[in-house]
Amino acid sequence: MPAELVEVEGHIIDSLILAKILDLIVGAGADYHMVDVRIGRTNTDPSKVRLEVRADDEGDLVALLEELQVHGANLVGELDAVLEPCTDDGVLPAGFYATTNLPTWVRLGGRWYPVENPEMDCALVVTTVPAPVVRTVPMHRVIAGERVVTGREGVRVDAPERPHGATPFEFMASEVSSEKPKSLLVAEVAGRLRANRQRGRRLLVVCGPAVIHTGAGPDLARLVRAGWVDVLFAGNGFAAHDLEANVLGTSLGVSVDAGTPTEGGHSNHLRVINEIRRWGSIEAAVRGGYVTDGVMYECVQRGVPFVLGGSVRDDGPLPDVRTDVVAAVDEMRQHVAGVGVALMLASTLHAVATGNILPAGVETYCVDINQAVVTKLADRGSRQALGIVTDVGLFVRDLAARLDPS
Amino acid sequence: MSAENAWGRRYLMCPPTHFEVLYEINPWMHREVPVDPERAREQWEALVGLLRQAGAEVEVLEPQPDLPDLVFTANAGVVNGPQFVPARFRNPERHGETAHDVAWFAERGWRVDELPEGVAHEGAGDSLPFADVLVSGYRWRSDARSHAPLSAITGVPVRSVELTDHRFYHLDLTFCPLDDRHAITVPAVWDRYGTAVIDDLVPEPLVLELDEASQFVANSVVVGRNVVMPACPPRVGRVLEKWGFEVAVADVGEFLKAGGGCRCLTLALDVDLSGGGARS
Repeated sequence: MPAELVEVEGHIIDSLILAKILDLIVGAGADYHMVDVRIGRTNTDPSKVRLEVRADDEGDLVALLEELQVHGANLVGELDAVLEPCTDDGVLPAGFYATTNLPTWVRLGGRWYPVENPEMDCALVVTTVPAPVVRTVPMHRVIAGERVVTGREGVRVDAPERPHGATPFEFMASEVSSEKPKSLLVAEVAGRLRANRQRGRRLLVVCGPAVIHTGAGPDLARLVRAGWVDVLFAGNGFAAHDLEANVLGTSLGVSVDAGTPTEGGHSNHLRVINEIRRWGSIEAAVRGGYVTDGVMYECVQRGVPFVLGGSVRDDGPLPDVRTDVVAAVDEMRQHVAGVGVALMLASTLHAVATGNILPAGVETYCVDINQAVVTKLADRGSRQALGIVTDVGLFVRDLAARLDPS
Repeated sequence: MSAENAWGRRYLMCPPTHFEVLYEINPWMHREVPVDPERAREQWEALVGLLRQAGAEVEVLEPQPDLPDLVFTANAGVVNGPQFVPARFRNPERHGETAHDVAWFAERGWRVDELPEGVAHEGAGDSLPFADVLVSGYRWRSDARSHAPLSAITGVPVRSVELTDHRFYHLDLTFCPLDDRHAITVPAVWDRYGTAVIDDLVPEPLVLELDEASQFVANSVVVGRNVVMPACPPRVGRVLEKWGFEVAVADVGEFLKAGGGCRCLTLALDVDLSGGGARS
């Protein structure tokens, strides 16, 4: 949304000039945000107000600003963003602007351009041919000669706004809900997923191994089969236990059906990983008939892309696991475009990693039995995350029953 | 009981030696309607006579060739005690007046404090004191953004009023402070915010109809309890009389051809806003 900063000063309160300016903005169908307000203490002291004025399109904004100028509201001398070239691949200019995941605008040649793919902790790379484009690029991906925004001049970030009103959770006053009726929450999430799909947006699911341990594998597989899941991020553990459960009927050696440990079960997942390595990939194992059910099976069958990111304590790992973590995150980045809702299911590290690369506009629901995980996600900057503290097995089962009642 | 204006007993005026309608910068001006120089001179001298009769002193600014509107001294600037804030004219046709105005004030010991460049403000034509504030008009000749620096320079709070009708291009065609309780007002040509501000400021306004305002009734000069007016409809005269004012009508028809009346032809030299606007 195009926006400009204007300033008005003088006896603007007693002269009703401020009231008039605000009325004009609203009357023009535009919006404002008070950036700075200094009211004079006595009636001889002048007041000074700085407003950010936003309109739906550039033409409306220019016309409105001209009208506001008549009433004394001056455009604040905003400057263009300062650009500096990178001197080496993977190294940013010292004063680079570090991004947030919020909608961000960059001023170039007197006009504001939106950042195409908001992501936190990145740099802003500007290309001007054929038309100006501003993109976030992680540090390691910049190339020598690319021009990067430095300093704060000419950069504007839309104020973070938590979802409010009827959407998404009117009754969820707190960010983390440990004491809320769970079935209501699940119903709300189901409604949000339906709305997301109607808007043509994609659902990203991030899974931890507890999804399989708690017996929610078949329910999640059902959601994949019914076409609800558009992309899946996980680690070696989730995929390994999903495959183990479907090949040997155990998760970390514990029978998924009976809940009892099986003899020699502690090595079950290693044997399955070993066989998948023999097949060369999960897809090959599915196509060859070694894996016949489960979340990974359904992903392969339905062509749902998945990214498995590795870690230092992984067994195996599975051949599909990206052991270069930087490459893993790069691959995850390629799949976040078009995502409208992210469901983080009992995952800490992958949830935080995913939160890092999602724009703030993506509705994020973090389901975990441990309240600290939800808090951690929010603390890492994913302020849009709404937490649901509950057992992930029960949550996924209830969600699948609502979305795929068959 | 109302108190007379503390100012309005000493005026700067400029004889109409070079007055004519050479250009058109307001809807009243028509180059094809010629000014009769003889009548203009007689009317101007009659106005001076009425003001002196009312008890005012009149000082004279030397007329200049090619500056026909120098007669409208009200627009020279804002006087505030020992301080003179020269106008920044909107139209280039009047830019040449400023040097003569500044010279006159500087030679007589006024401190000249200028408004920042790039903002238009046409002096007392768009700024009149009432109570302890300066009521200032904007849109056609003065910029709203001149009000903050004007207030900063003079130390006087400004109340801004938008003038919505191009025919009433200066505040002094729409507002005339009579004393500390009364003023002639024309809210029909103000925006509703300005109207609300003046409503709040003036306890007893004499509200003019548009046809009355079009006769330049508000463009009057007040000297104590005397009001010198370009025209005085009977209704207005009765109200002024009831409030204790004595009315004199000055025929300024030649000057109306340029869109200026009695007030436009005068600039009060005894305005001092630092100590309040009225004396009791």
